[in-house]
Amino acid sequence: MNQSTPGSMAAWLDGVRRSVSRVGWPVTDKDRAAAMISSLFLHIHPARVSRHVLKPTYTFALGLIAGILFLVLSVTGLALMLYYVPYPPEAYRSMKDLQFVVTFGIVLRNMHRWSAHAMVAIVFVHMCRVFWTGSYKPPREFNWVVGVLLLLLTLGLSFTGYLLPWDQLAFWAITVGTNIAAHAPVVGEQMKFLLLGGHVIGPMTLLRFYVLHCVILPLAMLLLVSLHVWRVRKDGLSGAATQASPEEEVAGVFPASTKTYGLMALSKRPRASVEARDPNDEVFAWPHLLYRELLVALAVIVALHVVSLVFMAPLEEMADPTRTPNPAKAPWYFLGLQELVHYSTLVGGVIVPAVLVLALLIIPYVDRDPKGSGRWFAPERRITNSIFTALVALFVGLTIVGTLFRGANWAWVWPWR
Amino acid sequence: MPSELPDPVRRSMFAIGCIAMGAATAGFLAATVRFFVPNVLYEPSRRFDIGAPSDFPPGGAATFLPDWRLYVFNGTDGFYAISSVCTHLGCNVRRGGPGFECPCHGSQFDESGQVVQGPAPDPLAWYALSLSPHAQLVVDLDQQVTPEFRLRA
Amino acid sequence: MGVAVEIKNTAPPRLHLAFAGLGLALLAIFSWMLLHEGTAEWRTTQARFRRLEATVKNPYQLAQSATVAGLRQIWLPDLGRVDRCRTCHLGIDDPAFTGASPPFAAHPGAWLSTHPTDRFGCTVCHDGQGQATDYVNAAHQPQPFVPRPMRPLETIEANCGTCHRALDPPAAPRLAEGRRLIIALGCISCHDIPGFEGLTFRGPALDSIGNKVRPGWLAVWLKDPKSYLPQSKMGNFRLSTDEIAGLQGFLLSQRLQEPLDSTGVDWKNADTANGRALFGELRCVSCHSINGRGGTMGPELTRIGDKVARDWLFSYLKDPHRVQPDTPMLQYRLTDNQLRDLTAYLLEEYSSAGDGSEPPSATYQDARLVSAGRAVFERRGCQSCHRLAAIKDAGRIGPSLAGVADRDPNEWPYGSNVVRHTTDNYIFLKVLLPDTLGQPSLMPTFGLTPADAAKITLALASIRKSDLPASYVLRRPAPAPYQPAGTFGELVTRYRCLSCHSVGGFGGDLSTVPLDRIGSQLQHDYTAKYLLNPGAVRVNVEARMPVFRMLPDEAKSIADYFSAVFLDDSLDQYDTNFTPSETRRGQELYEQLGCRACHQLGTQGGYVGPELSTTGVRLKPGWIAAWLSKPQAYKPDTLQPDYGLSSADARALTAYLSSLGRSDAAQARGENAP
Repeated sequence: MNQSTPGSMAAWLDGVRRSVSRVGWPVTDKDRAAAMISSLFLHIHPARVSRHVLKPTYTFALGLIAGILFLVLSVTGLALMLYYVPYPPEAYRSMKDLQFVVTFGIVLRNMHRWSAHAMVAIVFVHMCRVFWTGSYKPPREFNWVVGVLLLLLTLGLSFTGYLLPWDQLAFWAITVGTNIAAHAPVVGEQMKFLLLGGHVIGPMTLLRFYVLHCVILPLAMLLLVSLHVWRVRKDGLSGAATQASPEEEVAGVFPASTKTYGLMALSKRPRASVEARDPNDEVFAWPHLLYRELLVALAVIVALHVVSLVFMAPLEEMADPTRTPNPAKAPWYFLGLQELVHYSTLVGGVIVPAVLVLALLIIPYVDRDPKGSGRWFAPERRITNSIFTALVALFVGLTIVGTLFRGANWAWVWPWR
Repeated sequence: MPSELPDPVRRSMFAIGCIAMGAATAGFLAATVRFFVPNVLYEPSRRFDIGAPSDFPPGGAATFLPDWRLYVFNGTDGFYAISSVCTHLGCNVRRGGPGFECPCHGSQFDESGQVVQGPAPDPLAWYALSLSPHAQLVVDLDQQVTPEFRLRA
Repeated sequence: MGVAVEIKNTAPPRLHLAFAGLGLALLAIFSWMLLHEGTAEWRTTQARFRRLEATVKNPYQLAQSATVAGLRQIWLPDLGRVDRCRTCHLGIDDPAFTGASPPFAAHPGAWLSTHPTDRFGCTVCHDGQGQATDYVNAAHQPQPFVPRPMRPLETIEANCGTCHRALDPPAAPRLAEGRRLIIALGCISCHDIPGFEGLTFRGPALDSIGNKVRPGWLAVWLKDPKSYLPQSKMGNFRLSTDEIAGLQGFLLSQRLQEPLDSTGVDWKNADTANGRALFGELRCVSCHSINGRGGTMGPELTRIGDKVARDWLFSYLKDPHRVQPDTPMLQYRLTDNQLRDLTAYLLEEYSSAGDGSEPPSATYQDARLVSAGRAVFERRGCQSCHRLAAIKDAGRIGPSLAGVADRDPNEWPYGSNVVRHTTDNYIFLKVLLPDTLGQPSLMPTFGLTPADAAKITLALASIRKSDLPASYVLRRPAPAPYQPAGTFGELVTRYRCLSCHSVGGFGGDLSTVPLDRIGSQLQHDYTAKYLLNPGAVRVNVEARMPVFRMLPDEAKSIADYFSAVFLDDSLDQYDTNFTPSETRRGQELYEQLGCRACHQLGTQGGYVGPELSTTGVRLKPGWIAAWLSKPQAYKPDTLQPDYGLSSADARALTAYLSSLGRSDAAQARGENAP
């Protein structure tokens, strides 16, 4: 190749670039569509979306935020893994190292912790949004189930990560949490034994929690998130502006659109279409959807950084199995459970959570009436929404009580005193 | 605020956003790399006491310190320390006559560590010696010196 | 057929604004992060140090590295510690920074030459959170979630004690005194204290207490021992009247099985003047004090007449080991009449009642009172200090103090005391005022001064939970018990030599001369004569050896044993053929060196050291020469100076001193016969 002329140099570089990203920076509409569907990462999105999808109040981008948080957690977690030692008491020492001698160690650790708490909250709110918009109705029942599993995975990830600092807060929170779980009939004690790697929380426990937290649960999460997003693409977003009638959908007829996308014409068409009925309602995902997603990501990252630079993640003194702090509290998302356990161990610790999870899982197979799906607080679903909201409020209330209103010996305290 | 900003303004906003985000991203990448650089080492110190000057008798026979792989000499014009790590593949060199020789692949060095013969590519390292405030000899493995180095103590 | 309608591919303006804003925000955050790192406290401190270094002469730092930059860590895997204090305390190792302003000042004193930072770090002595790199987090002041913040300097000796386990660690006088008090006050009787294993403290056995004491005295004593004897080691158990009555009943029912020896004594003819003479002759004040003057090994006798019953005292003086088996008091050889006179004298002279009359002997028959008293005796753990055959040994009544310094200070009650909740404060309060901590306590009030309580606190605060690697610990050498057998052994037991003297570190410390090499120090005949009539070799000592009234055979036995067993071969090889010129030279040296300033010779000289007129018949030459050459080798704190004598000079002085007090002294000096 002749490298002496600048033109051929540019051409050569262009060739290198084209081998990596097969579509260049899109300038035509065709390019915009191609850019989406020919990219590994971007082809999660369709080439075109309904304009109404871009409204923030559509879904508040909660799922996206949860995904972004997961990404942040993975990156920060990976970085932290270079310094953290999963063996007590080195674990505590390495936490102190992160705080004092690792450049930007404080920020990264804080970010990891606050993103974790945020993710649990966001995932919960996302679930509420999905319920309130009735987006678990057919054909999305299974995706809801996957979502519940993801919620449990999120809680599991947060719980396993909670032990890793090996301070008093971590040790006793996990003591409380595993003891609540141990109350499950028949399998409870065995589950606790497996989780702890023994009878007491010690080095084997830390190792198990570490592997669960860094490898097993994240892999499961990746798998299920992929499935979850895949089903979103295939089932379509529930809240399109206008929807095809069920007959139309079954017939696979889309009166306003005759566009085909090659092989996609052969696959089962999405029912409530992501694509709009009216082509005038369509916009290309590049740049409209992507730009908004980028802004959401930026906003999340900026917010996380601010919080991480202002608020220090807690680190108490090193775990001491002989000294129990009073009160010993589970992580905040389990405090509602701990409050219930205070009233009755079996009912509060085992029956209620089991019933709740089971209920969540079978909701979409019980309530199959498609009416009201896709709209916020649809009047048809007033009763269903009210019941759900009441339960959510109760659970949140119990969590608040457990967090703020309980002091030593689990006695009632007024938090402002 | 008008629903439509003039194009130049809009474009410059976008440009600002791009440049800022690009700069911040580059910065964060650099910060990540810096994060990976350890600031403290969990290793024995690279600067350590090896004893009082009186622990090293004068003369041509050097004192070998196996823990630190050093030959310490108390010569007529002062103290000096030569590493015993052969520059070929890292074996400990032995004294051979006035110089050193390596038993592993036969490298030979003269009395100041220069390579005389053999596969070793570089001369033996010389390390800085100093006297601590408590009158102990201190070796600094992070400071290499030339064979002219002597510590008078 | 749909036509691709032109769709605006422009985003609404607010999105671009948001993009610009967020991008700038991200940039700002990054800058904030950089600033946050760049202005870390340790960095600014090091910058200040670099400026200071330029003004200091010959700093070690400059000779070593071009600039001071970066975190400095001392990693001690044996101790499980990581100390980063030197990141800011940059001049700590370098005497060039003596007197610099903190935190750059060099460490005061010579501590770092014996405890170099590379081997010990900083937090071993000072506590604090060594892993931190800023002032607040290093716990220079108490800090949340830091169990051991930095120690105030006045309590730092407690940390010396974690490695230095000997009872008298060097350069830690308050710690040493605290450890001594723990033994002297009998803490070890009620508490199992690590570091004090094998040591015992005992109050007197109480098997004959019913015979021994007057009932009125017992009530006074039980209410507050210090009201009878201010320097009593027994604490105030804060007993109620009922408890005292019960204990009285119980104790007074403890009487000897065999009758006392005082039947048939003719008390009417007791000669108290003879008793007084005996009292002086027997040198009782070597061990007992009167009005605060005298020895402290035995009880004070100022008001002994108020305390003991006459018959018991007679029997005790006659055979102390039968009446009170574990007593350190020796058995004198006295006749019954002498014992009678002595007893009468003591009771008359040393009582406040004055008339020495004997109250009627009271016996307590109230079984309920006796059993109530027994319950009190057991509940308050009296048997921890006082053996009583009637009570089976139930072990130590107090809790073990293992790891006491590492207990959670928030677990303990502080009562109404307004103090910061720290382990040190709790221990201090408990030792000083055990009954003020808000819950009933079995521990007696010892009436300590706050200074003494502080010293005991230092000693206890050095008892940590986890053990250190052996390379860091200096243990207390355990003296092997010494129990000679045979005739010598019987004599040692009868005359209680080991109450005052020690062999191999075992025994009493009233005499500062251990007996281990006494046979090579003293001449045989002198020893035998001395034991029969212990004279004063030193003028100004208060504790003198008592006059045992030994039999001459006994004295000779002891002297024989000394000369055969308690030897030091290095002293016995000395050539004792002195020439007259050596002796004369020795005499010159005696004048030159000014020995007269401290030693008496004839009627002249000072009172600091022993008199030397009889040296020739008292000491062996080998010992004299060795002592003169290097006194501190035998007695590290002696006042005898080390003159750096050559062996010839030492020999000359030895020759001279060996000539003193001998009948052929003049001849030895080479003078003409008088």
